[in-house]
Amino acid sequence: MPTTAAETYFPVLVQALLAIVIAAALVSLSFLLGRKVKNSVKDMPYECGIVPTGDARHRFSVKFYLVGMLFILFDIEAIFLYPWAVVYKELKMFGFFEMFTFILLVVAGFFYIWKKGVLDWSHNDPSALRSPAGRVEMRDHHPEEILVAMKR
Amino acid sequence: MNLLDIVICTPLVGFLLTLFIPRSKPQWVRVFTLTVSVIAFVLSVGLATGFNSGSSNLQFVTDFIWNASPEIHYHVALDGISLWLVILSTLLTPIAILISWRSIDNRVKEFFGLLLLLEFGLVGVFAAFDLFLFYIFWEVSLVPMYFLIGIWGHDRRIYAAVKFFLYTMAGSVLMLAGIIFIYNRTGTFNYSSILDMLGSGRLSFTTGEEMFLFLAFFLAFAIKVPLFPLHTWLPDAHVEAPTAGSLMLASVMLKMGTYGLVRFCLPMFPGAARECAPWIIVLAIIGIIYGALVALVQPNMKKLVAYSSVSHLGFVVLGIFSFTQMGLDGAVYQMLNHGISTGALFIVVGFLYTRRHSLEIKDYGGVATVAPWLSTVFLITTLASIGLPTLNNFVGEFLVLQGSAQANFKWTIFASLGVILSACYMLWLYQRVFFGETPEGVRHHMPDLNLREWVAIVPLIILMAWMGTAPQTFLPPVSSATAHLLEQSKMNVPLRVHAAPAPPVIVAAEASHAR
Amino acid sequence: MPANMAPSSAEILRFLPEIILAVMGTFIMVLDPLVRGKSPKIFGHISILAMLAAIGASIFAYTNPGPAFSGMLMVDGFATFFRVLVLGVGILAVLSSYRFLDRERADTGEYHALILFSLVGQCVMVTANELIMIFIGLEISSIATYVLAGYLRDDKRANEAALKYFLLGSFATAFLLYGVAIIYGITGTTNLSAIRAVLSNTTTAPAGAVVGAAVALMFVGLAFKVSGAPFQIWAPDVYQGAPTPVTAFMSAGPKAAAFAVFLRIFMTAFETVGTGWEPLVWVSALLSMTIGNFAALVQQNIKRMLAYSSIAHAGYVLVALAARSEIGTAAAMFYLAAYAMMNVGAFAVVAHLSGKGERRLSLNDFAGLGVKQPLTAALLTIFLLSFIGVPLTGGFFGKFYIFKAALQSNLVWLTVLGLLNSAVAAYYYLRILVVMYMHEPGEATLAVEPLSFGLSAALILPAIGTFVLGIFPSALLQFADKSSIFGR
Repeated sequence: MPTTAAETYFPVLVQALLAIVIAAALVSLSFLLGRKVKNSVKDMPYECGIVPTGDARHRFSVKFYLVGMLFILFDIEAIFLYPWAVVYKELKMFGFFEMFTFILLVVAGFFYIWKKGVLDWSHNDPSALRSPAGRVEMRDHHPEEILVAMKR
Repeated sequence: MNLLDIVICTPLVGFLLTLFIPRSKPQWVRVFTLTVSVIAFVLSVGLATGFNSGSSNLQFVTDFIWNASPEIHYHVALDGISLWLVILSTLLTPIAILISWRSIDNRVKEFFGLLLLLEFGLVGVFAAFDLFLFYIFWEVSLVPMYFLIGIWGHDRRIYAAVKFFLYTMAGSVLMLAGIIFIYNRTGTFNYSSILDMLGSGRLSFTTGEEMFLFLAFFLAFAIKVPLFPLHTWLPDAHVEAPTAGSLMLASVMLKMGTYGLVRFCLPMFPGAARECAPWIIVLAIIGIIYGALVALVQPNMKKLVAYSSVSHLGFVVLGIFSFTQMGLDGAVYQMLNHGISTGALFIVVGFLYTRRHSLEIKDYGGVATVAPWLSTVFLITTLASIGLPTLNNFVGEFLVLQGSAQANFKWTIFASLGVILSACYMLWLYQRVFFGETPEGVRHHMPDLNLREWVAIVPLIILMAWMGTAPQTFLPPVSSATAHLLEQSKMNVPLRVHAAPAPPVIVAAEASHAR
Repeated sequence: MPANMAPSSAEILRFLPEIILAVMGTFIMVLDPLVRGKSPKIFGHISILAMLAAIGASIFAYTNPGPAFSGMLMVDGFATFFRVLVLGVGILAVLSSYRFLDRERADTGEYHALILFSLVGQCVMVTANELIMIFIGLEISSIATYVLAGYLRDDKRANEAALKYFLLGSFATAFLLYGVAIIYGITGTTNLSAIRAVLSNTTTAPAGAVVGAAVALMFVGLAFKVSGAPFQIWAPDVYQGAPTPVTAFMSAGPKAAAFAVFLRIFMTAFETVGTGWEPLVWVSALLSMTIGNFAALVQQNIKRMLAYSSIAHAGYVLVALAARSEIGTAAAMFYLAAYAMMNVGAFAVVAHLSGKGERRLSLNDFAGLGVKQPLTAALLTIFLLSFIGVPLTGGFFGKFYIFKAALQSNLVWLTVLGLLNSAVAAYYYLRILVVMYMHEPGEATLAVEPLSFGLSAALILPAIGTFVLGIFPSALLQFADKSSIFGR
């Protein structure tokens, strides 16, 4: 058994050094040994293989973000089930009730967003996502307007 | 619950009941508040008759624990000094209500209610014998006066009201620091026990601490007095306040400062008081002369009276810091005198204002021919204010000058200049207002005193003569209290060695002199 | 391990207030889509009932004080005091919101659910006896409050306020968390009493520099939460932009809870290294008082003025913390109670007067209120006099206890400067009194609607409380004195 702090953390140090060395070697070796070709095709994004068209400042429907956030929320909540599943035998009834409460809360949240109409993608009911106060009209600025304003 | 408690509570109860009078009945408010304040006054006269003036002990004591931690007592009592100041407050409140009877016609309920609240604060300040309770009454009296000036005052009322509040507040927070410091050292707010501890040596301050505490208390009181050069709030507040406000402010509230000096600064911090006395006396004498000179050139009557207050209060401070029996007696007596004669001056100036709606001296002239009784009353008040023998101020000024002469004769010489100057500015004022050409506006709008005004002013005139001719009615309780105070603060070993005559002798000598 | 993990019934009872609030908050959320728009006031009623029940549960829990959940929570007098305090603030905020939500035609369900969730967080904060629980409580409370600040989501100012609050708040939380991490690293525990034991034991005490870094980081995080200078910059913008009842809520409730955490951490875990952090608190207290008061002097917007005043009042409480004594802790508790009442009351008046869309927020809009609505004006006067510290109000005794504690710890200069500061503060509170009573009624006051029932309650209750604390302070102070030793 390691006795001092230095001994305890020595393997960590070794691993960190190894990681640095390997990463540095990979980058620098490919830089040194690789063949370099420069043309316009090389400047294009290649990962997805699709040539981009149109403006990068494309606006998505706000519902996309809502659904995206909700997906993450429920996804993370579902993750909590895994550790429980591993030890539920040891936790016995206590664990069962705890998880029951947890799922109840998740269901309540699900019910809430469902009734709020967040999941209705196509149904465009103005009252479902109505703003709490219809006072000041928030106007979106066109990017060019912003540029003009910045130049001033 | 003794008589003093009833006197303190009556205005408060009156104030609370006033809140329930319907807004549509202003006359009810006037009658009700007047009744309450007269009841309070009659009861407070009972205090004087029941007071044992030979004793320096606290009388009419009520002492119970109001707040357990920290231990704050509701501890009220009277000694010879506070007795008369309490009665002065209760006397002037009904008079203030009477003189505002017609002149206040908007927000009547608030005005008269606040006057009662003010009376509660003032009586409390003079009766409190617990440092904390004293501070509470001190601040409580501040709020109604702020509103009285700010709502019902003249053109620059807001400026004056805020200035008044902030000056007093700035001074009093330091006093609060001092009070907390003393409490942390002694574990009590009780005035008598703190003095006992000081006397028996169980409590002692280092020189630095004593100076800090003295200055913390002194600053609060000096602003209130007001001592030159802290007096600048006073002309503003007096000029802008409605007549009743000026009356209460000049006659009673300024006395809170001088009372505080006598009650707290002297006995609790005698060493520092003695250390600072020369400086304070210089300021007091500057105040006497400066106030008088500025009063001389004022075109505005109220401002003139206000600056005369600075001058008169300088005498009081001089008397206090002469540390002699006579000086202190004179100072306390002068507090009462100033309350009555300056109060009366503000009232008669108010009478002129309600008729002519101007405070400028140049708008007046020849009033004596159209309103002879008003002129007579004004004349008596003027003579009292300049210290004519047989009227009250003479006795006080004489005692103060006598007392200061015992300590240092040079002070007396300079201070006497103030007496002469006061004759100059007051008589000149009288001449310009009451004699000479009668302007058109004065001739047609100057009815003589009506019954209500007579009722308001006559008690003060009687008192001027009574206090001027028979000081032995008023002085004995004061003398026993001040003698005790000097003894407590070990001040009866004066700066200059002299044999202090026993109090009754002074009174007798003084009384015969006055005649 | 597993079998005894189940909490005992006593522990559940100690946690009952939070359970009630969470359940009722969820219930409101589920109910909201079902009765949407039909009876908007019912959510207010439900949340008031929930908070009353939680207050009852808190008091009941105190009949059997002690730790819960393996010492993560500590139900003691201190916790009960602050639980009742934040719940009381919640009730007053909800009372003052009825008319506001109606006027702005805002959804009521989510609003009340968020208030309840924020209160869950605050209750956890004040009971937590362990850094991670404190962090969790702080986050629950903060996230709900961020949303509340931007509740009127079409209002640009509210949007700005919410975003600023969120960004800077998360930043400050990160500081706090960094401090927690270092403390865990050097002491091996997050339990406050255990940390104290490690730090006070000279043989095990870690290096001073590391402890100092951890304490300083946590100080930054908490000073931000209580809007103590120099971390106060966010407060004026956020308080001004947020809907007024929300401002009333978050300038009293979460602030009190954050101070509770501040006091508990610094007076238990870090008490033994007190000489190290006292200068930090000293400087912060003085800066908060001075910056708050002097900046408030020139404000024309009433909400902004009250925001700066709230910074100054945080400074006064920091003075009590700088005293580093049990008396100081008790004074801070008393002050926070008095402050909560006057602050909620003052903001409720602002909410009442501001009118639809909160357009009337200038100081001049108070002109002549004393004539048009004498009762409202009189109640606001009481709160303002309490802010100034005039005797017979709770604010006076609060200041008195704080400066008494400071003097007892020989902080003479801080006391003198603090008292002078409170004289400066009198000026801007007087300005409100001046326009209210000494100016002629203006357009705003002529248009003001009569006091609704909820608002009257939200004004009269704290006014009574202010007087009770100002005339009979000892009952509350004795409880605070008793509780100021925490569960130790």
